[in-house]
Amino acid sequence: MKSWMKVGMFALAVLAVGLWMVPSGAWAQKEIKIGVIYPLTGGAAAAGRELRAGAELAAKIANSAMPDLAMPMAQNQGIKSLGGAKIKLIIKDHQGNPTLGADLAKKLILDDKVDGILGCYFSSVTKTVSAVCEQYKVPMINGSSTSPGLTERGFKWFWRTTPHDRWFTKDLFEFLVGLTEGKVQGVKAVPREEINTLASACEKTEWGSHVSGLIEEFAKEYGFKLRKSLLYAAKSVDLSSEVRSLKAARPDVMLFASYTSDAILLVKTLKAQKAHPKIMWGQDAGFEKPEFRETLGDSINGILTRTVFLPKVVDIKKLAGQVNDLYKEKTGNDLGGASARAFTGLQTWVAVLEKAGSTEPQAIQAAANSIEIPGKDLVVPWKGIRFSTKGKELGQNVLGSGLIGQYQKGKDGKMELEIVYPFDVSSADMIFPFPEF
Amino acid sequence: METIKNALDFSDFPRLDLTVAGAVALCLIIFPLFPLSSFAMSTMIQFLMFALYGMGWNTIGGYGGQVDLGKAQYVGIGAYTTAVMLIRWDIPFWVSMPIGVCFAVTWSFIIGYPLFRLKGHYFAIATIATSLVLKDIFEVWEFVGAARGLEISPIKYHPPDFLRLIFREDIYYFYFILGFFFLGILYINWFRKSRLGYQLRSIKDNEDMARSLGINVHWAKIKTYAIATGFVSVVGSFHACYIKNIEPEDTMSLDISILIALMAMLGGAGSLWGPIIGAGILIPLKSYLKEWLGAQAGLVGIDLILYALIIMLISAYEPRGVWGIIEKIRRRKRA
Repeated sequence: MKSWMKVGMFALAVLAVGLWMVPSGAWAQKEIKIGVIYPLTGGAAAAGRELRAGAELAAKIANSAMPDLAMPMAQNQGIKSLGGAKIKLIIKDHQGNPTLGADLAKKLILDDKVDGILGCYFSSVTKTVSAVCEQYKVPMINGSSTSPGLTERGFKWFWRTTPHDRWFTKDLFEFLVGLTEGKVQGVKAVPREEINTLASACEKTEWGSHVSGLIEEFAKEYGFKLRKSLLYAAKSVDLSSEVRSLKAARPDVMLFASYTSDAILLVKTLKAQKAHPKIMWGQDAGFEKPEFRETLGDSINGILTRTVFLPKVVDIKKLAGQVNDLYKEKTGNDLGGASARAFTGLQTWVAVLEKAGSTEPQAIQAAANSIEIPGKDLVVPWKGIRFSTKGKELGQNVLGSGLIGQYQKGKDGKMELEIVYPFDVSSADMIFPFPEF
Repeated sequence: METIKNALDFSDFPRLDLTVAGAVALCLIIFPLFPLSSFAMSTMIQFLMFALYGMGWNTIGGYGGQVDLGKAQYVGIGAYTTAVMLIRWDIPFWVSMPIGVCFAVTWSFIIGYPLFRLKGHYFAIATIATSLVLKDIFEVWEFVGAARGLEISPIKYHPPDFLRLIFREDIYYFYFILGFFFLGILYINWFRKSRLGYQLRSIKDNEDMARSLGINVHWAKIKTYAIATGFVSVVGSFHACYIKNIEPEDTMSLDISILIALMAMLGGAGSLWGPIIGAGILIPLKSYLKEWLGAQAGLVGIDLILYALIIMLISAYEPRGVWGIIEKIRRRKRA
């Protein structure tokens, strides 16, 4: 054999061995592990089920090609820039316990070697989990915790897609002012003195106490009179003294920040004690869960809740309708604020990974900081997703927005949430004042 | 000197007990050498923390027979003292921890004095009440972060920081809490043979008799309550640095108070090993049942059922806990 042939053969052999030794991930379909931490048991288990279903649906769409859906992640099987790598969700239950959440985050990072984390709904748990992620430099995307403080900590590995409570609470006061100016569909301008007094009852962990503070702050700013502001334990089995104290303040508007079981208990107690405010508003969460509607039936007719997604959005957004159908097929329920945001959270993860083209944390960090998802690709009615990279808030999506919905009994006897704010997308006349229980 | 000798003297235990205890101690020391998951490590740290809480509870609850269901308030005092001092004034753990103990002990004197006028169930209920009241105060006290609590920022400190007890890896926390655990055992070993320990047992057996023998029953209880408090407060301070986030709902909840008491009762109140056995059973059970059955098999809630079943079985079969069962078997063998 001639020497050049020998060299050639040797080179080919080296190449063959070299190719064989290249990490399998470079070509083979790799799995991308995302740790998902939600409250699957305890008082918020109902929300947990919705969140889980939302995230699972997004993963299913990302992993299979559904060309009918007009969103980039539905066009390919898996993450195209990662060779079609599939998303694998590792789901854990934090039970609303911040300490357990932190332990689970460590387990996901160190034992399961996840590429990133999604969660956790409860702001208090998101706080501890994001701190663990920050320590281990593992990216975390949060889709549904709304305590403003979460993105004010200067964390570099934490991004939040949902708008936070400062925006939502401001929306509420804009809505109240709009009500006095006759901007609400179907309601003549209401004299200010008819809705000038407020009272709030919020659950007392990170989220609720923050909302309570915001209500106080905005009431002052907008010139409303806050007569009572109380905090209660979401796990309470009896809220009658809290309701008595709310009633005693004789407010025109009652405001709540409650998780599921406590929201139901609050309304039941308000009904039993024959409270009759002119407006009742809930800061999403429990007020928007299917269980809230199913358990309380007709008595919620006229209650308002802020949210980021209502089934009525389907009428103004085709994509939302399509995803809603898939979700309904999976769970039997319509998409809600929690499930739509969990869906959007995982969708953002997919978009970030697609842009990063790598599972290296630094590449994911750079991709998240520069990502721009247009509103048309989302199920939620936002302008899009773009994270703030400077200023007081780091990692906060600056293109999100909220809605206020009102429970109204339809002609078919079903209780539906109609959009009453923003005023330009209202889907029905508002019921005002709140009908007596 | 005599005290140290007493603390190190375990000669009144049968050889078998000491061999088992020695083997367990050795396993604990070399525990991080085993190839384990981070979950096993955090479960082990929790076991050591709760064993220490239980040891503290055992002084007043076990040896003294005063069922205290308000220990979470002292976990909170310890944790908040350390967190507030670290966050606001950058005071290291080794300074804030003893200050936390002082605060906790002072608070225990303030509430212990009137509370020990009560007996039995009334005392137990009163301890729950004081703990809940303190929790409610912390929930509205802005200086300590109110309901939102306090967070020791992971980006502000540079681990490993031995002064502030800020680490990234759990192994450091493991050895620190293991050190406290061994010191705790030595202290309780001394305590049970101390004058106060004997006084307390006689109070538990017959309070009037103890009084007739010249024991200041009220004062003995208050002193022991303060000792129990000190234990819990130290671990509370450790908890703040380990979890790095404390809030009243999580740190001072009634669940923690009950778990502490339950652990000692399950293992065997009034014995040196009882709280350790109790924590050794309940903590892994709590963590792993939840993890395996709740999260993986999808049998949500079954962990709680099994957990309750074991407690019911043990309390029905032998109210003196696991240690009571062991002693019963031993007595039978001797007979």
